[in-house]
Amino acid sequence: MKHWKTLAAAAVVSSFGAAALAESIYVPNLSYRTGPFAATGIPLMNGQRDYFEMLNARDGGIGGVMIDFEECETGYSTEKGVECYEKTKGNAVVTQPWSTGITLQVLPKSNVDQIPILANGYGFSPMADGRTFQWAFNAPAGYWDAASMLITHLDGLDGGLSGKKVAFLHLDHPYGKEPIPLYEKLASEKGFEFLPIPVGLKEMQNQSAQWLQIRRERPDYVVMWGWGAMNAGAITEAVKTKFDMSKFYGVWWSGHDADLDLVGADGAGYKSISWSFPNPDAGVMADIKTHVVDTGKTLSNPDEMAGVFYGRGVVMSMILAEAIAGAQAEFDTGVVTPDQVRWGLENLNLTEERLAELGMEGMVPPFSTSCADHTGHSGAWILEWDGEKFAKASDLLQADVDGYSELLAASAKEYAEANAPWPVNESCDAMN
Amino acid sequence: MIYRTVGQFKTSYASDQALFPVRQDAFLLGIILLFAWVIFPLTASEFAFQTLLIPILIYALAAMGLNILTGYAGQLSLGTGAFMGVGAYACYKLITIFPWMNPVVAILLSGIFSAGVGVVFGIPSLRIKGFYLAIATLAAQFFLVWLFEKWSWLYNDNASGAIQVPNLDMFGVFVAGPQAASITQYFVVLAIVSLMTVLCINLTRGNQGRIWKATRDMDIAAELIGINLMKSKLTAFAVSSYIIGVSGALFVFMWRGAAEPNLFDIPLSFRVLFIAIIGGLGSIMGNYLGAILIVGLPVVLNIVPEAIGLDIKSATVEHLNIMIVGALIVFFLIIEPHGLAALWRLVREKLILWPFPH
Repeated sequence: MKHWKTLAAAAVVSSFGAAALAESIYVPNLSYRTGPFAATGIPLMNGQRDYFEMLNARDGGIGGVMIDFEECETGYSTEKGVECYEKTKGNAVVTQPWSTGITLQVLPKSNVDQIPILANGYGFSPMADGRTFQWAFNAPAGYWDAASMLITHLDGLDGGLSGKKVAFLHLDHPYGKEPIPLYEKLASEKGFEFLPIPVGLKEMQNQSAQWLQIRRERPDYVVMWGWGAMNAGAITEAVKTKFDMSKFYGVWWSGHDADLDLVGADGAGYKSISWSFPNPDAGVMADIKTHVVDTGKTLSNPDEMAGVFYGRGVVMSMILAEAIAGAQAEFDTGVVTPDQVRWGLENLNLTEERLAELGMEGMVPPFSTSCADHTGHSGAWILEWDGEKFAKASDLLQADVDGYSELLAASAKEYAEANAPWPVNESCDAMN
Repeated sequence: MIYRTVGQFKTSYASDQALFPVRQDAFLLGIILLFAWVIFPLTASEFAFQTLLIPILIYALAAMGLNILTGYAGQLSLGTGAFMGVGAYACYKLITIFPWMNPVVAILLSGIFSAGVGVVFGIPSLRIKGFYLAIATLAAQFFLVWLFEKWSWLYNDNASGAIQVPNLDMFGVFVAGPQAASITQYFVVLAIVSLMTVLCINLTRGNQGRIWKATRDMDIAAELIGINLMKSKLTAFAVSSYIIGVSGALFVFMWRGAAEPNLFDIPLSFRVLFIAIIGGLGSIMGNYLGAILIVGLPVVLNIVPEAIGLDIKSATVEHLNIMIVGALIVFFLIIEPHGLAALWRLVREKLILWPFPH
């Protein structure tokens, strides 16, 4: 009798043990805490990591299932990225590729491996077309949204853009070149002169030639699509050449506090469009402080946590966590599969109320995704550097998605044709 | 003991000049080929194919191309990455202009474009030598990468400026693109690399190889014994660039699947040069040993902490990895400055003499 009891107990324990092993959701992140882009990567990675640490500590994961959040270091190198992708794809429910190069590598494989790609606010803009890119998501906003919003914003400033000149200082790389077709289209519609100025990967830190050109051309505005060392290079060069900082705009990846700290008050007036905003008073930040910072689990520091990029990392993880939670509710399961997470990402509905519930007031605009719309087009704010920190300098802007939907559909179609046989999801009809 | 050559008599000139004068060498090669053609494909995982087997073979081929030029003909080149790019872009254009073309044929043809470009940039070698020539090839490196960025015809005016490999099939089986299985790609790469290796071994052992070696060792003396230096140097550039071009096409079509211009920038050239130097200049086998050390070892080191259950952060592993690989490179170069191939030669000689070290 006694034996039976111990045996039963052992069986129960072992089954629990097995369950505990299976009961976790593996969420890898292809991070880059080393290499030339580490300075911008670390705050983002810390934000992403801390949000999941907080969920694990506060709620015991999502829907009672622990999140096994693991980083795989790529150093922003495409080669390492592919290595990490191969290493993690066995159990992963999502791929967060991070660099444009890695996204380009992984995107064609998404239909074969059937793991959703989540590229928050980066990657290939036509990924918004959920019918063609069934497994890729770039919520809450893509680069073409940013370009559209910036031009709408500039058009609304003193007398419109007609007859003006906009210089586009960009990294000479897929990432920087991507919005050019849209800018050219907008330039012919609104009647402004569009002047692309490429910055080679080797010239990122020394942009004197580009800024000489800017001085000669006297553009009314400079819009920057920069990353890593290029941002700091451009901003210091702009200050050196006494360019009017209030005429200088950047995309969301060009709004890193540390880059502006280098010039401090001289950089006041610089603006960056952003779909995230750090709100140190938000409920989620307080929870991160109690459950992650105070228990010594964070890798971050208070300075960094007040910055734009840390806040953005938190928002990114929140979007993924919401997708996982949505998938759990829909399929009534704890441990979700990649396919179910894809459903979750496709059916995100982050309303103002839901964001307040999550303690994310003012950190990201409300948005929702659908089968056809994998971006959500949340809109964004213009943030202005006041000499010490970024502050909101505009109401929520919205992208004119209808204005470029033709371009988007054409690019998506071109991609599908170039990669034939490429399955297209015909079941969703409504386009963005 | 294992390498005892007792009783292996050479009774004809042909047997004396054979590729493997010692029977054990042929036996060893047989084992390696057995592993490469049978055992690895049967046992390797997707991860092993994509991060170890395929890249090692492709990098070894690129280093072999460079070795022909630098190791055999003595012409230092820093433009390997760009020549790989020429092969990759040529293959991409061939495939998109002639979609019916067999991918393997396209890959082998793309090397011809690279060979042509290589010969053009090899012309300065007739006048300048050594480090000065390295600078001239460096110019090729910068110019070609710039061209890949600016000449939008090369990437079919794609908005992002990158080339993407479409799904290509051969006799109904996908060999390139996202639909292709790793094992198919591995066999295609292995077949091409094996073919090139056989070609290189025979080329470097024959008349042409001797002409190159003479040019390398002392070009004035070579000229005096009647070697046409122009022909010798330019054939070295052509053959080397052809092989590098093929490796570049394999690099993008059989492995990466997509490429942006800066992929072919100078770090790639240096990587291939390191493989050639650490493996051993003037050796064919060295390229494989070098590729295993430079390409394969970091991947293996990365999975070691996890495999033995150590909980180290991924970023820390990466830092450690860089330090360990760097230290190993220094270590191997100190114990054998002529590379891993020379180290193997030494070990083999000792084994043949064993147990009588005299």
